[in-house]
Amino acid sequence: MTTATKPPTPSPSVPVGLDWQLAIAQELIARGVSVAAYIPDSRLNGVLAALGERDIRLRNLAREEECVAYAAGQRIAEARPVVLMQSSGLGNALNALGSLAVPYRLGIPLIISMRGTLGEKNPSQVPMGRATTAWLGALGIQSFSLRQASEVGPVISGVLDLAFDAGETAAVLLEPELGGGRA
Amino acid sequence: MNVNDVIRTIMQCRPDAILVSSLGTATSSVRLVTSDGPHFYFGAAMGSALAGALGLAEAVPDRQVVAVLGDGEFLMGASALWSVAAYRPSNLTVVVLADGAYSITGGQPIPAPLHVAAVANALAGTRGVTVSSTTELAATLRSEPTSPDAPGTPLVIEATISERTWPGPSPFIDPAATVRNLRASLAQAPAPA
Repeated sequence: MTTATKPPTPSPSVPVGLDWQLAIAQELIARGVSVAAYIPDSRLNGVLAALGERDIRLRNLAREEECVAYAAGQRIAEARPVVLMQSSGLGNALNALGSLAVPYRLGIPLIISMRGTLGEKNPSQVPMGRATTAWLGALGIQSFSLRQASEVGPVISGVLDLAFDAGETAAVLLEPELGGGRA
Repeated sequence: MNVNDVIRTIMQCRPDAILVSSLGTATSSVRLVTSDGPHFYFGAAMGSALAGALGLAEAVPDRQVVAVLGDGEFLMGASALWSVAAYRPSNLTVVVLADGAYSITGGQPIPAPLHVAAVANALAGTRGVTVSSTTELAATLRSEPTSPDAPGTPLVIEATISERTWPGPSPFIDPAATVRNLRASLAQAPAPA
């Protein structure tokens, strides 16, 4: 497991103060991730931009369940994808997680940008945010909260170990304390 | 034309292809026709098979990948067609088994015709064709370039199923065996000439 306290190399695509986004991208690249299947979110922009700068394939698909199924197709060929989405879209992905990723033991790493939690101003976002950990847990998917930039290395690396080595789909939750939230 | 006719024709024209089959008649027929060959069988997750095929196709660019989807399955995950049109892997072919019914749940009719070939033609990144016989299907598949360098505009074949029969064994496959067999096959496959 990587112990990442080394500051990430600056990137023109990542706003100042959001170094955690760059650090996530660098950890993914260091661990051989070759493609990111995602649904857009403002807090993922820096991660995706930094991946794109290093020629990691970016796949902006139409629905979250497509991202999970796309990653399943990659994993069955033993490639190394990552799925990124907002917590409000997790509901769209549950069937692909519960009926494909988990029973096939394909080990898909998920990076979920949290909404509906600390500081949420949109009432319609709250129920799914509150349920995110429970939804994942009910399917047997472990989730790990990331709250500080200094934890990026061990948390991302640990989830990639679970996914790619243990065959367990597992999630990193990007909590509001990291910053980069919505105005 | 029944579902087994379609799968047999695909395997005759693309004997080295990896098939991605959706839950229902597709998975049942691929099991029967290929004797449980190393393919990506979906045993659930309806609506996800096309996106799974897109991911697999991009992971194995030197192999042909054919997604075989029921029309009910296709409808549940129709947005994936737009994703295919966006990223256009040249090694992916999509075959939709158009029998107008949800066979896996008892044959309930699909309320509106899909016209999936017409939709594929309306998108910039895919092409659509409708076939109603194995002769037409074989001619369509054989006319398609299969080189990894071929232009990436995936073909979506709407195969009209006129004879509705349950094709073969249960589609309730063993996920572990599916993964193990396909991975072993990919590990052994020689690089194409």
